[in-house]
Amino acid sequence: MFGTLSYNKQKTIIIVSFLLIPLILLGTFTYYPAIKLVYYSFTNWDGYSPEKPWVGLANYREVFSNPDIFKVFTHNFAYFVMGILQNIVAIYFAVVLNSKLRGKNAFRILLFLPYIMNGVAVAFMFGYVFDTTNGSLNLFLNSIGLTGLGQTSWLGTETLVNYSLASTGFWRFMGYNMVIYIASLQAIPRDIYEAAKIDGAGSMQTLWRITLPNMKPVIQLNLFLTVTGALEVFDLPFVLTKGGPAGASQTYVQRVVDTAFAFNNYGLASAMSIILLFFVVAVLLIQQLVLSRGGDK
Amino acid sequence: MRNKLFSLCFVIIMILSVSLTGCGSGNGNQAATATDKPADTAGNTGGDNAGTTTEPAAGGAADISGTITFLTNRTDMIGKEYDEYVKRFNEKYPNIKVEFEASQTDYNQQAKVRMASGELPDVMFIPTIPNSDLPKYFAPLDDLGLNDQITFKDFKSYEGKLYGITTGNSTSGIVYNKKAFAEAGITEIPKTWDEFLAAAQKLKDKGIIPLASNFKDKWPLNNWVYDMPRIIEGKADFPNDKLNTDTPFTMDNGYGKALSLLRELNEKGFLEKDINSTNWEQSKKDIAAGKFAMYYLGNWVINQVIGAGTTEDNVGFFPLPYDNSGTPAAALSPDFFYAVAKDSKNVDAAKAFVKWMIEESGYEDFAGFISPLKGKESNLAQLKDFQATGVVLQEGTPDDAAVTDISNKAQIDLPAIAQEFVLAKDPQAVLDKWNKAWAKSKKDLGK
Repeated sequence: MFGTLSYNKQKTIIIVSFLLIPLILLGTFTYYPAIKLVYYSFTNWDGYSPEKPWVGLANYREVFSNPDIFKVFTHNFAYFVMGILQNIVAIYFAVVLNSKLRGKNAFRILLFLPYIMNGVAVAFMFGYVFDTTNGSLNLFLNSIGLTGLGQTSWLGTETLVNYSLASTGFWRFMGYNMVIYIASLQAIPRDIYEAAKIDGAGSMQTLWRITLPNMKPVIQLNLFLTVTGALEVFDLPFVLTKGGPAGASQTYVQRVVDTAFAFNNYGLASAMSIILLFFVVAVLLIQQLVLSRGGDK
Repeated sequence: MRNKLFSLCFVIIMILSVSLTGCGSGNGNQAATATDKPADTAGNTGGDNAGTTTEPAAGGAADISGTITFLTNRTDMIGKEYDEYVKRFNEKYPNIKVEFEASQTDYNQQAKVRMASGELPDVMFIPTIPNSDLPKYFAPLDDLGLNDQITFKDFKSYEGKLYGITTGNSTSGIVYNKKAFAEAGITEIPKTWDEFLAAAQKLKDKGIIPLASNFKDKWPLNNWVYDMPRIIEGKADFPNDKLNTDTPFTMDNGYGKALSLLRELNEKGFLEKDINSTNWEQSKKDIAAGKFAMYYLGNWVINQVIGAGTTEDNVGFFPLPYDNSGTPAAALSPDFFYAVAKDSKNVDAAKAFVKWMIEESGYEDFAGFISPLKGKESNLAQLKDFQATGVVLQEGTPDDAAVTDISNKAQIDLPAIAQEFVLAKDPQAVLDKWNKAWAKSKKDLGK
């Protein structure tokens, strides 16, 4: 049917028709809502009434004049710390599981499995692990004799709760990071290692001078994922603690959701989302600046 | 070969588009948080206890005729209890035909759509609309002759006319395991706060956790902040009084006192060992098994506790004595309200049905409610015991829209404040913080 058309025209038709569906989906489910979000952030819409009164920048002013709103970012710090740790452990496992090791595929699968599980299911599951009186973690600590530690309220201590939650994230995403690192490790040419070996480099030296520098772009990517993940964490505290105790584990996104759906302030919530977007961009720019200072030679 | 390539590309595109759409649905299930609180008010307590009332049929009952439709949310009763109701109803009004229409999923939403299209069923429940809109859709029910008997008469009234009658009421109090009480040597239900604390101490000494607060889940604290303050103040309109002050939360008003009671229970160790690590589903089983002794929740929880594995006669219900006066009081809250459509072709028949449902159907017993009629004794054992304490049931008032607006603007979530209050080292600071937020929002909104 298209045989009579010229090669270029056929190519255009194929390209257009293949791109059409994803672009329509991308437009309707990503860009259209995003534009709407920007629009709502300039109104004080309550989320259901037909009129959406325009209030200009009032929402943005309110967000920046309320220090409470930004205070919740301190709770995200725990997720950063755990995220960095997660990447270090992931690199370690990637290096170990990339060497000649019996049953390495089984280990890889074991470490990657948590990532496949649904986030809410994971959160629910860890609710039973962290339970103070009947939780498996405390039962375990008690059974190995650490009875003092076995009384800990993992989700009820203000200073601890974010780290408990973040460790769940660690358990879940470490395997994912590891898989990416393994892929990048396998892309490093073998002959570099051979040359290094001939020059008499030890294993620590190889890791530090060859492996890590070659993985730099991937480390950057993983840090990017970690940072955005830490800023936007929602499902874990939402399911496990509802932001408790007394708001100690509330995250920014949770606050946005509450503002929109519990307090019917859609406009303010939209403004908060937009601000988060810029916040993420800013943090990433800083990260780029710091990490690329060494320069790509 | 080409075909194969094409289908491969097609599959890839489909996968990509699926994963794209998948991205958008991340945080949409806020509304679906699993609190099976109000939805499960249903009970399996059997509804045929009221069937024996042999009141002489009112004069002219046989003259009313016509077909009426009733839009109901209790789809589980259609073809079962409702059929039985109609049979009894027709003994009195043989010429009225009643049809039931099952509401899909969201009654409120559906009712509003029907209102917009002007096709209302003859009998229905009132959705959430301002009371000033009631005369537009519904017929006044003043001529039913129930005005001086019904509870919540002013709840759905406008300009002195009555448009809705509650289908049944709920209250809140202490739901307890009788065996656990007996084991701890508590022979009489506590009538004062001191007696209550003494009873809790006895339970604690026996190794039974006195009160399951389910503190972590936040919503189980609702009764502490929505019911208790107005009971302590003895003023149904107390929540709306906030409008007249810049400091709605003080230590010596209803809020401060109610929260202090909860705080005291926690300090004395009468709540769960770690209140930040509680489990609602498990707590029902533990109450049923007698590991926990009490809940402070609405009467809807009674059937859930029984369902969690105990017998009906093991569960008791009494009003929480909030002070040492010895005069029990509890909050009464309405469920849905019956209404008759203004444009119904058979208004009289519809009204007769509503009246019959309220007076004679026995629906409140089936649903586990307190009767919509004042002073009518419940047929349910627990509610009967509850009423037998001589408790004063205080009817609530609708929330003032202005109060809701200010609360939302200030992001005031009372159960969350209760959590903060109980956990804080300095509870006064918590109240001060929220007073400040309240005053600021009130000023900003110019109210």
